[in-house]
Amino acid sequence: MAVITVEKLSKSFKVKIKEKGLKGSIKSFIKPKYNIIKAVKNISFSVEKGEMIAFIGPNGAGKSTSIKMMTGILFPDGGKIDVLGLDPTKDRKKLAYEIGCVFGQKEQLWTHLTPYDNFKFFGAIYDIPESVVEQKIDEMRELFELDEFINTPVRNLSLGQRIRCEIVASLIHEPKILFLDEPTIGLDPVVKEKIRTLIKRMNKEFKTTIVLTSHDVSDIEKLCKRVIIVNKGQIVLDDTMENLKYHYLNKKIIDVKMKEKVNLEEVDGITILKDKDYNLKLEVDLKKKTIADAIKLLNTDNMIDINISNVPLEDIISEIYKDGEKE
Amino acid sequence: MKKYLYIFKSELMTNLQYIFDILIGFISYCIMIFIFLNLWNYIYSDPSEVIKGYTMNQMIWYVIVTEILWMSLGSRKLNRKICNDVRSGNITYNITKPYNYVEYILFSHLGVTTLKFVMVTILGLGIGLIYLKSIPTLSFVKVIGVLLSCLFATIINILLITALGLFSFFIEDASPLFWLYSKAILVVGTIFPIEFFPAFLQPIMKYSPIYAVSYAPAKLFVDFSYPKLLEAFIIQGIYLIVAFLLTHWIYRKGVKKLNVNGG
Repeated sequence: MAVITVEKLSKSFKVKIKEKGLKGSIKSFIKPKYNIIKAVKNISFSVEKGEMIAFIGPNGAGKSTSIKMMTGILFPDGGKIDVLGLDPTKDRKKLAYEIGCVFGQKEQLWTHLTPYDNFKFFGAIYDIPESVVEQKIDEMRELFELDEFINTPVRNLSLGQRIRCEIVASLIHEPKILFLDEPTIGLDPVVKEKIRTLIKRMNKEFKTTIVLTSHDVSDIEKLCKRVIIVNKGQIVLDDTMENLKYHYLNKKIIDVKMKEKVNLEEVDGITILKDKDYNLKLEVDLKKKTIADAIKLLNTDNMIDINISNVPLEDIISEIYKDGEKE
Repeated sequence: MKKYLYIFKSELMTNLQYIFDILIGFISYCIMIFIFLNLWNYIYSDPSEVIKGYTMNQMIWYVIVTEILWMSLGSRKLNRKICNDVRSGNITYNITKPYNYVEYILFSHLGVTTLKFVMVTILGLGIGLIYLKSIPTLSFVKVIGVLLSCLFATIINILLITALGLFSFFIEDASPLFWLYSKAILVVGTIFPIEFFPAFLQPIMKYSPIYAVSYAPAKLFVDFSYPKLLEAFIIQGIYLIVAFLLTHWIYRKGVKKLNVNGG
C-alpha cells in the first residue's frame, strides 16, 4: 500500500535579482527584477508502507523543497500530493498527527527546558494522555540512551545529544511516516552511527516509513533500500540500492605494491589512476576487461601487496549528478 | 484547549529562569514613573486641582497602570520572535505541529506576560502607595473587572503585534510597522489619557485600538463605574474578535507565500 503518492509536483520561487554595487541597489529599488527559479519540476513517485527511502542530490537540487511540500510547509505550484490519504495543503493539522519531522538545521525543542519537559510538552501537543506519554518516554529513554541528560536543559546539551532528543520529540506521537531532513549534519562518526542504528530499529519495531535526505552517502548506504536521486528539480534516478550498486559498480579499483618499478601502458578498459614509485592504482572496467587481465599485466613475482575494491558509492553518485547535468 | 494551556505552562516555566531579567526591567519602570511623578507635580499647581477630569493622584495612577500593561507585554521580544520565525524559516517546525501558529504565539506569549505582570504590578502598586499614600477605592467587582480588562487588553495587544510581525511574509522587514504601532501606543495611550487630546480627535481615539489596549483598564482603575465597565467590555470584546480574525487571516494568506530556502 502506498503511503505517499506524488504526481507531477512542481514548485518555483521568485527571487529578487540585484545588479552589482550601489547603483544596482538603487536600480532594484526603483524597478525590482525577479528571477523565477524552478526548484522542483514535474516530480512523480510513490512510497510504500514501511519503506526507508533516501532523497539525495547536490545542494539546491530540490530535495528539501520536496520534503517540505509533502509535510505541508510549502505550497506546491502544480501537481498532486497524497500522504496517508490526506492533502498536505488542505489537511495540514490532521496530517500533523500522522507524521513526524526532523530538520537537522532547525530546532524544535524549548532550549531552556529539559528533554523530559520537552517530551511532556510534545505529548500534550498531540493530545496524548499523560500516562501514555510517561510510558513512551521510558521506552525512548532506553532506546535512545537518554538517561545521562534527560534532566539537563537542552541549551546545555551537545549537538549529538540534542539531535537524539529532536528525533525522540518527533516520535512521541508514534507517527506513521518520519521525515528526516539531514538528520546527521555536523555530527561525529560515532554519533552518526548511533543515530543510524536507532532509525533502523525504529523502522523495524514500529514499521515507521522513513523518508530521508542527506549529503552523507554512508547514511544512505547503511539505511535505505531505495534511493531517489534529484538534480535540478528533477528525478534522475529512482531505483533500489542494490540495482544502483549492480549497474554502476562494474568498475574495480586495484591497489598494488611492487618490489620494483613497472612501466605499464594503458589498455582499453584499464586506466592507471596513480603511478608513484612502487605503488600502482588501476581502475578496471569489468565490461571490457577482467581482473585477471589486469593482474597479468603485472609481474606477480614482484608483488608485495594487492588490494581489490569497489569504486566508492560517493564517486558513483557524483558521476550520476554530472550525467544529470549534461542532459 | 489543553495543549494551549500546556504551551502557556512551558513558556511560564522557561521565564521563571529569567526572574533576574525582569528585575532589571524594574529599573526602567521606576525611571519612567519617576519622570511622570515630577512632570505631573509640576503641572498640577495644587494636588486638589482637577485637569480634564483627573486629579493629580488619578493622573499618576493612570500612568502607573498603563505602564504596567506596557512593561509586562514585552512587545519588542514578541515582534522580534515572529519576524525571526518567518524570515529564518524557523516557523517550519510550527507548521508541522497540530496547533495553529497564531494561537501558539498567543498562549506562549501570555506565559511571558503573566509572570511579568504579577511582578510589575506589585512594584507599581508599591510605588503608588509609597508616593501618593492613597489608592483609588477598591471593591471585589472592581478588582475582577480591572484584571479582566487588563487580560483583554494584553490579548488584543499580542494579536495585533503578531499581525504586524506576520507582514514579514510579504515584505522584507516588518519591524518599522511595529515601531509605529509601539510609539503610537506609548505616546497616545500610555502617557496621556484620551481626554487630553483635542475634542475632534477624541471620538476617533475612543474607537481605536488605543482605547482597548491601554485606556480602558487604566480608566476603570482610577474612575470605576458600571457603565464604564460595560462599555470597556463591549469595545474590548469587539476588538478581540476583530484582532483574532484579522491575525488568522494574515497568517493564512502569508503562509502560502512562505519561502524556505536551503536546509
